Amino acid sequence: MATEAAPMDEKAKRMRDLLSSFYTPDPSISTPTSSISTSFDNINGPSFDADQYMDLMIKKSNLDVLLQRHVQMAAEIKNLDTDLQMLVYENYNKFISATDTIKRMKSNIFGMEGNMDQLLHKIMSVQSRSDGVNTSLFEKREHIEKLHRTRNLLRKVQFIYDLPARLQKCIKSEAYGDAVRFYTGAMPILKVYGDTSFKDCRRASEEAIETIIKNLQTKLFSDSESIQARAEAAVLLKQLDVPVDSLKDKLLEKLEQSLDGLQINPDEASKLAEHNVSSKDEESNNQGPAKIHEDAVRGFSEAMRAYREIFPDSEERLFKLARALTTTHFENMELYIRKRVSAADFLGIFREYSAFPPADVLLLSNSLRIIWEDVVLMDEVLPEAALSDLSAEAAQVTLKQFVARTFSHLQQDISDTLLKFDINQKEVVDGEVLKVVLEASGKAEFRQLLDENTGIFVKMNDLLIGWIQKGFQDFFSEKIHAGLILVLAQLSVVIEQKVIPRIAEEITASFSGGNSQAFIPGELCRVFHAASEKLLQHYIDTRTQKISNVLRKRFKTPNWVKHKEPREVHMYVDMLLQQLEEVGKEVKQILPQGTFRKHKRSDSNGSNTTTSSRSTTLHSDKMARSNSQRARSQLFETHLAKLFKQKVEIFTKVEFTQESVVTTTVKLCLKSLQEYVRLQTFNRSGFQQIQLDIQFLKAPLKETVEDEAAIDFLLDEVIVAASERCLDATPLEPPILDKLIQAKLAKSKEHNNNNKTTVSS
Amino acid sequence: GPKNLKSGPLRSSARNQRSQRAANRRETFLPESVNVGSEATMQGGSSGIGYGLKYQARCISDVKADTDHTSFLTGTLSLKEENEVHLLRLSSGGSELVCEGLFSHPNEIWDLASCPFDQRIFSTVFSTGESFGAAIWQIPEPYGQSNSSTLDCVASLDAHVGKINCVLWCPSGKSDKLISMDEQNLVLWSLDSSKKSAEVVSKESAGMRHSLSGGAWNPHDVNSVAATSESSIQFWDLRTMKNVNSIERAHVRNVDYNTKREHILVTADDESGIHIWDLRKAKAPVQELPGHTHWTWAVRCNPEYEELILSVGTDSAVNLWFASASSEKQASERSAEASRQRVNPLLNSYTDYEDSVYGLAWSSREPWFFASLSYDGRVVIESVKPFLPRR
Repeated sequence: MATEAAPMDEKAKRMRDLLSSFYTPDPSISTPTSSISTSFDNINGPSFDADQYMDLMIKKSNLDVLLQRHVQMAAEIKNLDTDLQMLVYENYNKFISATDTIKRMKSNIFGMEGNMDQLLHKIMSVQSRSDGVNTSLFEKREHIEKLHRTRNLLRKVQFIYDLPARLQKCIKSEAYGDAVRFYTGAMPILKVYGDTSFKDCRRASEEAIETIIKNLQTKLFSDSESIQARAEAAVLLKQLDVPVDSLKDKLLEKLEQSLDGLQINPDEASKLAEHNVSSKDEESNNQGPAKIHEDAVRGFSEAMRAYREIFPDSEERLFKLARALTTTHFENMELYIRKRVSAADFLGIFREYSAFPPADVLLLSNSLRIIWEDVVLMDEVLPEAALSDLSAEAAQVTLKQFVARTFSHLQQDISDTLLKFDINQKEVVDGEVLKVVLEASGKAEFRQLLDENTGIFVKMNDLLIGWIQKGFQDFFSEKIHAGLILVLAQLSVVIEQKVIPRIAEEITASFSGGNSQAFIPGELCRVFHAASEKLLQHYIDTRTQKISNVLRKRFKTPNWVKHKEPREVHMYVDMLLQQLEEVGKEVKQILPQGTFRKHKRSDSNGSNTTTSSRSTTLHSDKMARSNSQRARSQLFETHLAKLFKQKVEIFTKVEFTQESVVTTTVKLCLKSLQEYVRLQTFNRSGFQQIQLDIQFLKAPLKETVEDEAAIDFLLDEVIVAASERCLDATPLEPPILDKLIQAKLAKSKEHNNNNKTTVSS
Repeated sequence: GPKNLKSGPLRSSARNQRSQRAANRRETFLPESVNVGSEATMQGGSSGIGYGLKYQARCISDVKADTDHTSFLTGTLSLKEENEVHLLRLSSGGSELVCEGLFSHPNEIWDLASCPFDQRIFSTVFSTGESFGAAIWQIPEPYGQSNSSTLDCVASLDAHVGKINCVLWCPSGKSDKLISMDEQNLVLWSLDSSKKSAEVVSKESAGMRHSLSGGAWNPHDVNSVAATSESSIQFWDLRTMKNVNSIERAHVRNVDYNTKREHILVTADDESGIHIWDLRKAKAPVQELPGHTHWTWAVRCNPEYEELILSVGTDSAVNLWFASASSEKQASERSAEASRQRVNPLLNSYTDYEDSVYGLAWSSREPWFFASLSYDGRVVIESVKPFLPRR
């Protein structure tokens, strides 16, 4: 079916192409639409060469095909001819009809101009006649108008004479509106002609108006009157040019005074909040303060509504008032935060935090909630005052302050504890503290702060997180203590893994609607994840930097070419181990243990001695060979050895486990050691010193690090590097090496004992 | 010559060894390293052109004056053996690295720099193990023949006592000025290669406190040289021989000027990777790049593509960076900056090295090639063409 349909389609298409090529002047436009390739056998193409085509046909095809092709072509040509004829005929037809149309149009237009001239003439004559009528009627109209004016004047005079009586009548019926209307209507005339014959009349009406004003004022000030009536009175007074503003000022002052009573003391606010919470339990009893406050705010907003209607032009003032109220609220809160945060004993608070929800945060959020409610009330009355924006802004500022403050205190507290840690060396207790701090800051602080789901908080969640992050960064750049960085790294992980999902849950739970878009947990997780990795890397960097400084000093100071025979293990080894120990301690307090533990401590002791002794013999072998004046071949051999040794992955990705961090640190330090060695040139004694130091390092390092193979490899590399950089690489005799190491071990043990005795005494 | 004959098979053996090594690695290590890094390793291994030196080595230099070929000079660092200088040339197709000359050098080479206007002249800093020296050498003509394996010493720069760090050639064309630097002193030389002499123009001490470690000559200002010291980067004015300016920054290991953009300087240090500075506002770096897992040993700005920076490190890797940010842009377009930060500035990491990489040089003739040299004496030429910015 498809195969049959295809040639038909093709034919039709070709037909269409031909037609369209006939109509379009540029053949190149039509050719791309053709499905036939543009090669020379394309009979419709512009580059078709008939001779070439013929040649090819003759060469390619046998007689039958040629004949068939001939018949086919003849048919096609005939078809084309008829098509062409049809087209020509159609075109001719169209042309004829077009000429006819044009002819008709010409004849229709002819004679139009004469008609137009006639029309113009007639219109002119109509206009001249209407002018004539107008002038003839003018005089009479003038006269009528004059009479009318006189009549009006007479009526006005009559009105003024009647005015006092009318006003009196109005006062009696309390129709002050009419009275004012009459009076203001008569005012211009009375002003101009008041000194002439209208004198008595004027005086009488002025007296009447005086009483009206008095009546209106009392009406305005009386609270018992309806708001509408009071508003009307105000309007009338204004119309009578009585200075209303002074009255308004008086009223607003009164309102302002009432504001003082509305201010919230955060302590009370917390009480209010507590009552709000507890009111569920004991509904009737203790609603007092909360109710009072709410009533006060409601009263205030009612008053505002009234004044707004009475004095529509006084909105500015009211705005100011409402804003003042909110600002004072926030100022109070700020003060409170300052007071509260600075006065508190932070360690205590943190401890508390881990046990109870933090009072501070609860308080803050309650105050904010109350303010928000107030604002909502006022907002209903004064939507233009943009109170919600204002309070959102203010709340933002307050929260920012709060976060900043808590941060600075958190920072201070952590550093305090760490200082204590340095002084006291009470690892266990302070380890607890670190953990407490970590948990407190992680669980209570941010969670509480972030969990709040009032409108303001939702608006500000992301901002808050931004600040917290910024806090981290500021923190981070200060480089107070390496341990802090580690704490922060872990904190980021906690936030990433626990806090954010919870916030997301909370938000989706309470706002299934649109608002939650501002909070994208995935993005935040990513940010915190990146931050934690960065922090961890930074921790390792600062740690290795410290060690690197020790090593740099060690290798830059002595003249290694003129080194004296090694007498003991150099003391930089102690410093190195001490630094690593510190890292180990910090890491143990903060990071979780890895899941995989290579060996138990008990058998590691046993195996350690054997491996170390074996490697000693290995080394002395290697050194002996290198000593035999075949250093080049030795280098070649080490290279070859490297080829067949599995390449030890020195730089692996750091994980959030104790072991990984320690291992990475040790590896980086040993690599640095190797690089420092490579930059020096040693004499035999210098080389032996390195050999001794490295040999000593072997056992303690292996004890601390999980990846023993890597450590072995790196330590070997250091020795190899030293031997390569040595003019005469004769290693120490194993017995001497052993003796020196034993001496060092004994010494450090003694040192430790001394330390212990001093501590215990 | 026996030398050349010897180097031939050795070179090929080095090649075999390398390919064998590569094969070995692919077999044994690929299954283990399933991370993304393995792909980079494969890529680095397949595209690079290698060459093996006989001994360990630290320095390689682009022969800038050779305008007909892309060539590099490299020298070995062996305390006990006879050291060599190799002149390497990249074949025109860029598919092969050929040794054009092999010359013996009396001592182990710690620094090597090719003269910017004469391809046959270069400088070395060397050590006997006990003391340091610096000299200007000339490759004998016609090089590459059997009897020409000894270098002619043009001049000996013997005005130093302590450890010499480097010799810098004036980057502006045909100037005969040179600077040699030891830990305390900066010496400006005037070289007359035809008379085979070098004279001290001026000499100034940086002071005992500042232990100088290297430097770079400003290509935009021939009177300015940046020197790295233990605590800062110092900028010296050669007319007065005074330290006129400095950036406080500890332990900077290497420094390079951006030849395309004035005032832009790139530094590498052990501790915090790579920093890009705008010298007009040198309070803080314009941009920071993370550098290497271990020390970042050297950085080089591409001579043609201003955004490309290469770094080598002791983590056995060469990193190619894209540092697009100019200081003005960064300040004004905060959002753009944020989006840029999301883009990883690390274009590629070449990790097919067995040891720390110390030597690094862009080719100035074909600026998409660079040569790297790892401590085990392996020269690798790589092309950065796949990473070139579209223009």
